[in-house]
Amino acid sequence: MTERTTLEIIAPTVEEALAQGLAQLGLPAEAVSVEVLDAGNKGLFGLGGRQVRVRLTVNVPGEEPAKPAAPASKREKEAAPVSKAEPVGKPEPIKKIEPAKRADSPSVPDGHDPVLDKTEAIISKLLFHMGMQAQVSAHYGEAREDRRPIMVDIRGGDLGVLIGRRGETLNAFQYVASLMVGKETNQFAQLIVDVEGHRDRRERQLRQLARRMAEQVTKSGRKLTLEPMPAAERRIIHMELRDHPAVTTQSTGDEPHRKVTILPKE
Amino acid sequence: MKELIEFIAKSLVGHPDQVEVREYGNGDHIRLELSVAKEDMGRVIGKSGKVANSIRTLLRVAAEREGRQATLDVIEPE
Repeated sequence: MTERTTLEIIAPTVEEALAQGLAQLGLPAEAVSVEVLDAGNKGLFGLGGRQVRVRLTVNVPGEEPAKPAAPASKREKEAAPVSKAEPVGKPEPIKKIEPAKRADSPSVPDGHDPVLDKTEAIISKLLFHMGMQAQVSAHYGEAREDRRPIMVDIRGGDLGVLIGRRGETLNAFQYVASLMVGKETNQFAQLIVDVEGHRDRRERQLRQLARRMAEQVTKSGRKLTLEPMPAAERRIIHMELRDHPAVTTQSTGDEPHRKVTILPKE
Repeated sequence: MKELIEFIAKSLVGHPDQVEVREYGNGDHIRLELSVAKEDMGRVIGKSGKVANSIRTLLRVAAEREGRQATLDVIEPE
């Protein structure tokens, strides 16, 4: 009886991680399933880039370790230099901005929408209490499913901490702020909070990731599971691959660890 | 820290006058205790603790900016 073996590899690209892992296990690519734990990034806010983290699970019990599948993997590695292909917005120079609007006395131009004004005031105060100086502006976004989301833009220097790893802090901030604004205005409020254009950048990154992983699945014929993502980000992956000729996508697992799996079409 | 939690909690509950935050410890690690009216417990905790955990995330960021650590407990009203 063979136990399920897993191996975690950190490398600059998924392909390299896979090649390293297979070489270590001495198994061919067909004998393992691949899960991308962390797609890595290029270090936007001076935090230094993160490498890719991949988990390999041996899924053919009882199979004798075969010769390493190195040649094939090596070819893959050269064929797809993932990190180079990733046009993540160039590390932005942290702009020095003029002293932010005083959080406790937001200047409100006349004739503004009261809900937007309240949103700006609440978010400015929240940031102030978190020890951050920033400029906040709110506007209505495009209606989706009968609801108009409130888009909130936060600008200022040194706001990387507000985004957090994979945007987790920003999502928590957005959630709490939505509840606060909803309570204050006595109506359901859907806020989409963005910091220094982070969400656009993240969306571009995710679309790229989706296409890259789909290509990998098409080539290898094996399914691939991405790292856990919040619903809005999973949606981006699903939408990007909706019309893909060779793969389908599905989400599995429970929040907050729900993940997208990309599968080859039957 | 204390002001942050007070501000958030008072904006979320139906009885802001019953929001109380106590702060324990000083130096690098502080512990905050939040109590609200019984019927407001759900609003600050949320489904499977989602609200409380999000508040904790914001608290962590605020504390880190001061080089400190902070934990938050939501306690039942007496």
